[in-house]
Amino acid sequence: MNKTYYFLIALTFALGFGALFLPEKSHTKEITPEQLFYKMNNPSRFVTTDQVARLIIESDPALLLVDARSPDQYRLFSLPGAMNIPMKELVDSNGIICSKWVDYLDIEGLNVIFFSNSDVIADQVWVICTRHELDNLYVMRGGLNTWAETILKPQKPFESSPIEEFALYDFRRGACQYFGGGSISIKSDVVADPVPRIRRKKKTVVAGGC
Amino acid sequence: MGPLISQGYINQEWNFVIALLLGVAFGYILEASGFSSSRKLAGVFYGYDFVVLRVFMTAAMVAMIGLVYFDHMNWIDISKIFILPTFLTSVIVGGVIMGLGFIMGGYCPGTSFTGVAIGKLDAVFFTAGLYLGIFIFSTAFPLIEGIYYGGELGPVTVMETFGISRELFAFLFIMATLMAFFVVSLVQKRVKKIEV
Amino acid sequence: MKNLEERSKQYLNPYFGGVLLGLLLLLTVYITGRGLGATGAIKSSIVTAVDRVAPTYAENQAYYSKFLSDDHHPMSNWLVFETIGIFVGAFLSGLIAGRVKKFRIEHSPKITPKTRLIFATLGGMLFGIGSQFGRGCTSGAALSGTATMATAGFLAMMLIFGSGYLFAYFFRKLWI
Repeated sequence: MNKTYYFLIALTFALGFGALFLPEKSHTKEITPEQLFYKMNNPSRFVTTDQVARLIIESDPALLLVDARSPDQYRLFSLPGAMNIPMKELVDSNGIICSKWVDYLDIEGLNVIFFSNSDVIADQVWVICTRHELDNLYVMRGGLNTWAETILKPQKPFESSPIEEFALYDFRRGACQYFGGGSISIKSDVVADPVPRIRRKKKTVVAGGC
Repeated sequence: MGPLISQGYINQEWNFVIALLLGVAFGYILEASGFSSSRKLAGVFYGYDFVVLRVFMTAAMVAMIGLVYFDHMNWIDISKIFILPTFLTSVIVGGVIMGLGFIMGGYCPGTSFTGVAIGKLDAVFFTAGLYLGIFIFSTAFPLIEGIYYGGELGPVTVMETFGISRELFAFLFIMATLMAFFVVSLVQKRVKKIEV
Repeated sequence: MKNLEERSKQYLNPYFGGVLLGLLLLLTVYITGRGLGATGAIKSSIVTAVDRVAPTYAENQAYYSKFLSDDHHPMSNWLVFETIGIFVGAFLSGLIAGRVKKFRIEHSPKITPKTRLIFATLGGMLFGIGSQFGRGCTSGAALSGTATMATAGFLAMMLIFGSGYLFAYFFRKLWI
């Protein structure tokens, strides 16, 4: 046997033996910082309060509203049908989203809309969830403050305003009545329905073979 | 990073160009290693030429250990790789039939293509046989559907089947391969050499 | 410069060829997320042919219909292009080494060329049937499957070679 073969045997052995001592690799699923940055710069994640109101009125089955504020605030007022995921309880001590929330958020075809009082906290929750490879996530622009201004107390547009503004105003008036006629004190007792959700299947595994 | 195509790093349009290039490399390596000769291939079963075993096992070993390291370097997302689903009955039936076909025909599909490319008439007939066989299978499929879907285990890996880690399996595979190389080199010395 | 006859007998060192093949397989998995294959292209062409001749039969039959879809042609398949590449690559290699010659039959001196062709066809037929049961051939299931550590691939490799050795005795006249 030639000397090269001894060297090759030693090399393969070393590679195989070395593999046994590789440090434990953390298998947290995260997207790369570049991808996250790209997604964060993309404003398409924001939806307006009018869009949200319309989805609620139409009782869109693919909609999940998530209130990112504290449980106290949630009990006081929230949007109808919203579930509460306080930002402080979103991740566990390892910085990974708790599995009980993932079961709600990671569903094929479900659109998740986060909201808070303004859109700052909701946006933070959006970033955390996006980083952990959840998708179809949105943020309600302006949060509940804008909700109150636009849906609960719609301002009548000026006489000279374009016709679209009046159409929007009419919609908001209708929505206002739907959501309880201007009163902000209504308490929603509709909490996220406990329908058993099916976990999303593993995505983008390439099909094929011979 | 990888797999590049399913992660969107490479455009789908390039997919087929890449397929062609990888195929060229595949064909070149197979032919250059001598896989276009059926008597050289069949030698593995009679001990006069172990080129199949050497090339095949080395390739499997290199790719396997490569994937282990790629996974650790986070260069590839191992969960997005296609894992052949296991249908126990089907793979046993298929494996035995393929072994029989190998010893009778002297080629396997990929190598018969390389044989055709350099003008081996037996490889042409083998390829024609492949067409025939797949046609027979597809047409008779309703009769053999039970076998085809028998013993489904899903896309399991050897790690799940044997309950060992990826690294340990790779290590054991390397040990077995090196051992096999040593044994066949002894066998080859004792078997009468056949010039092909 | 050696003569052509001698040069055409020179192959790569099997270990070197194996390392190249392994690196190629690794690259393929890295780029596409799956391994190499060979029989897939034949299956695609058969599906295409059957679909052309008897479209209603193909759409309603359980196996053919699996590979027919409205949004793409069965021939516009990764493996079809890869297989075209195999022919090109093998031809190139053969050309360089001086192995490309007019059609000839390679057989053991103990059998006639006719016997060789009959057994080659039979073997091909069996391999074709087996590859469908195994969901891949030696390259698609055994090699790529073993490298990606799929249990099915590992089993296929063991079984192909195992049964090859099992039946080798009965067919020894064909080869030695």
